[in-house]
Amino acid sequence: MTWSDLYALLPVLVLIFGSTVLLMAGAWRAAFSTMVAYGILFSLAAAATAVFHTPGSHDVAGFFLIGGYSRFFSILWPIVAALTLTISFRYGADRGFSGGEYAALILFACAGMVLLSSASSLVSLFLGLETFTLALYILIAFHKGSPLGAEAGLKYLVMGGVATGLLAFGIALIFAATGTFHISEVSILDASNGQFHAVTLFGWGMLLAGIGFKISLVPFHLWTPDVYQGAPSPVAGLLATGSKGAVFAALVFLLGNLQLSRTPLANLLWVLSAASMLIGTLCALRQNNLKRMLAYSSVVHMGYLLLALLAGGTSGHTAILFYLVAYAFVNLGAFAVVTVFSSCATEPQSYEDFKGAGYRQPLAAAALLVFVLSLAGIPPTAGFMGKFAIFYAAIETGYTGLALIGILSSLVSLYYYLRPVIIMYMSGDSNTPSFSMMASEKSVLILCLIATLILGVYPGPLFDVITGILP
Amino acid sequence: MNPLSSLPILSLLIWLPLAGGLGCLFLRPVRHASRWIALGTTGVVFALTLFLFITGSSKNGWLFFEDHAWISRFGIRYTLGMDGLSLLMTLLTAFLLIVAVLISWQVSPYPDFFFSLLLLIECGIMGVFLSLDLVLFYLFWEIMLIPMFFLIGVWGHARRLYAAVKFFLFTLAGSLLMLLALISLYLLHGQQTGDYSFALSALIHTQIPPNLAWWLYGSFFVAFAVKVPLVPVHTWLPDAHTEAPTAGSVILAGILLKTGVYGLIRFGFPLFPGPAHASLPILAVLALAGIFYAAWIAYAQNDAKRLIAYSSVAHLGFVILGLAAWNLTALEGSILQMVNHGITTGALFSMVGMIDQRAHTREIARLGGLWTRVPVLGAFFLFFSLASLGLPGLNNFTGEILILLGTFTTHPVWAALALGGVVFAAIYMLRLVQGVLWGPTKGDEPWTDLSGREALVLIPLAILVLWLGLHPSTFLEPVREPVQLLLQGSMFPSMPGGMP
Repeated sequence: MTWSDLYALLPVLVLIFGSTVLLMAGAWRAAFSTMVAYGILFSLAAAATAVFHTPGSHDVAGFFLIGGYSRFFSILWPIVAALTLTISFRYGADRGFSGGEYAALILFACAGMVLLSSASSLVSLFLGLETFTLALYILIAFHKGSPLGAEAGLKYLVMGGVATGLLAFGIALIFAATGTFHISEVSILDASNGQFHAVTLFGWGMLLAGIGFKISLVPFHLWTPDVYQGAPSPVAGLLATGSKGAVFAALVFLLGNLQLSRTPLANLLWVLSAASMLIGTLCALRQNNLKRMLAYSSVVHMGYLLLALLAGGTSGHTAILFYLVAYAFVNLGAFAVVTVFSSCATEPQSYEDFKGAGYRQPLAAAALLVFVLSLAGIPPTAGFMGKFAIFYAAIETGYTGLALIGILSSLVSLYYYLRPVIIMYMSGDSNTPSFSMMASEKSVLILCLIATLILGVYPGPLFDVITGILP
Repeated sequence: MNPLSSLPILSLLIWLPLAGGLGCLFLRPVRHASRWIALGTTGVVFALTLFLFITGSSKNGWLFFEDHAWISRFGIRYTLGMDGLSLLMTLLTAFLLIVAVLISWQVSPYPDFFFSLLLLIECGIMGVFLSLDLVLFYLFWEIMLIPMFFLIGVWGHARRLYAAVKFFLFTLAGSLLMLLALISLYLLHGQQTGDYSFALSALIHTQIPPNLAWWLYGSFFVAFAVKVPLVPVHTWLPDAHTEAPTAGSVILAGILLKTGVYGLIRFGFPLFPGPAHASLPILAVLALAGIFYAAWIAYAQNDAKRLIAYSSVAHLGFVILGLAAWNLTALEGSILQMVNHGITTGALFSMVGMIDQRAHTREIARLGGLWTRVPVLGAFFLFFSLASLGLPGLNNFTGEILILLGTFTTHPVWAALALGGVVFAAIYMLRLVQGVLWGPTKGDEPWTDLSGREALVLIPLAILVLWLGLHPSTFLEPVREPVQLLLQGSMFPSMPGGMP
């Protein structure tokens, strides 16, 4: 490790430094909002560092590849963390969260996401993944008084443990077969027959299964709804956007220089993608709980992303990166709405809790409307542009069948995305008391709303940035 | 040139309503501000289109054209263009939107929300009629849906949620297929020429392998057929029209259905001439099926609004038959008939709304005797009903006769069959008139006759009915050139400055 290595990792160091400081300070000063405010400052500082920090392409000890690609995510994930913290002010104070730990853990998780997005070796991939998973184990069960939260935490822990095992086993097998951890070398095919060695293939299968757990692809998705439902809403938002997004960022890097369509992995991914789109959609149809619906919807969206990954090439990877950004704002926004509606004691989750919200809470309801329309891929929202880019990539590379399945699931999914809208606007009023939003909550909603609409009508600049940084 | 040519006038037509819609939302605290904003905005948009119509209807080619880079990654451009056909459709849109605002003057609850949705719909529809870039078109095509979904779902009648969701799902099913097809077309064109562009002017030159062409045309066709609607995919229409509030029905029947026909004329036929021509007989069969089936079902309805909704399916059958005949007379008739149908059906839906306000029912069996009870309203109702069934001298007659004449010259059998449809129309419309106007008066509380605001809505509509019936060439002139070009297979008139 040299100074220049450390310099290259500066954004991560800012996050880790902030995390440590908050953890220490939390022992003395326990005011939740102060700690969270400092947490926001640290994550914004990390994002700003990444914006102005141009070390050029730099390989850190064969573990992390610092360059445009990692810089992109070093900006995105700290912003996601900052938004998560901003939305938590009232929510956390109401529930007596201890500020130091909460903010520190979120920063720590964010550091893990950044590391994962810049991983260039299987070891650092494992490291990054485990870093933020560890933080999330605690964050999901952070509300001590909530039995659902404890259940969610335990489920995530058990499933996470299994996934870690699979992942480690897969990496070990790949190492045994290829003799290297470096991502650019492990994905080289066997020279003799242009195929993987059997052991390598087995390793890849294990690796993908482990990753499938983390991003909740069907059939590894069963933990998702319970965990989303039990986790505190801001944390669920982070889980849905940052953690899954970081894994996808690593996947793009992992499979990017592999001729996917020539390997048996392509068939596997095809089935995973189709199953995620179809089964996720069908399960979401039956939900009456907003958070569970969002959980299944995330399964479907991971299916779309997998489709883009399968398509590969510049258009596929551009689509994935664009989608990750759009999805981050949209989903954070949706969970922010749930957070905003939460009272001291409970979170509103059942659709019935949102009855008549369109007229009592115009801003929050309008925001949720835009977010679900974006998830459904209706223009002029970011979700439409993301879906457009994905279908474009799919048709370009000849995955028309999967694109048709995607279209079918988008169509059916409209039905479950419209249900909360119907409840909010078309089912009469209820007598639940109205409330006023904090400025911080309002600003998060407005920011996500603006990002969703701008990415929907003027996505050009982001596409240009993405094209410039693809590995 | 006219003084407006320096303004981005097409953009104004689209974005002015959006601005008005936002104004309605942000000025919510001001009582009654929203309705005046809505009236003002639709009024200005109508004045603009009327001005364009008066100054531009005799010119050829693109009257107005705008083109800007938008999303360079995919070669998507912000391209708007107005020819005679778009001009006529935007004029109809702007006019019916004023009607919609006026008949919803007392709307409750949430008037501000209601009027902003109306204006949002206008934004989407204008965009559909003016876009010449396929992605831009698709965008507006979907933007139309959301406000209409809300109009039906919030202000509709008893089964409004069912109708709203059905409407949304049906339309989206068609348009998602179209999305895949237009991406395929774009890629094909890009691979052939190296020019990756969604511009209609570029894509019409694509050489499409015949097999693929059928698939792509089919996808576009389904999207448009759902909107028209053609017979097997029409089932959303009666529900949506019946459950929608009056303004919603007027916009749905008057304009939204026409976007389907417009889409076929503007995009479907020029992009895929081969399959489009080969499918004309299928189109005719579907159109004839629609004419008879809808007339039959309309006759059996008890709800006046539902009856008129089914009559829309039958009338649109005539429009499609004119397309299928594929000659100048019939096509002109089709386009004229779109306008006619917008006027008469808009008027009839408005009148059923007025009757519903007084009687609190739309059931024919529970109405009756309106002729003596509210004579002026009754007279208007009779007038528009006669127009709708095609009485000579009134507007629908001119459209139908042009379609039938045109069809007869090439396909006498189709025309002869369709003529039967005219008789059917008379049967169900007369049943409506008989049930609503004649017979004994039900109930005895006194009704107020037409109010000033209601008369303000109906009189211009009545004048237009007569105008279109007696001197249709005012509205036929501007579409002649586009129709001729369509028949020759060259969609685009040359334009000084050239196309991008």
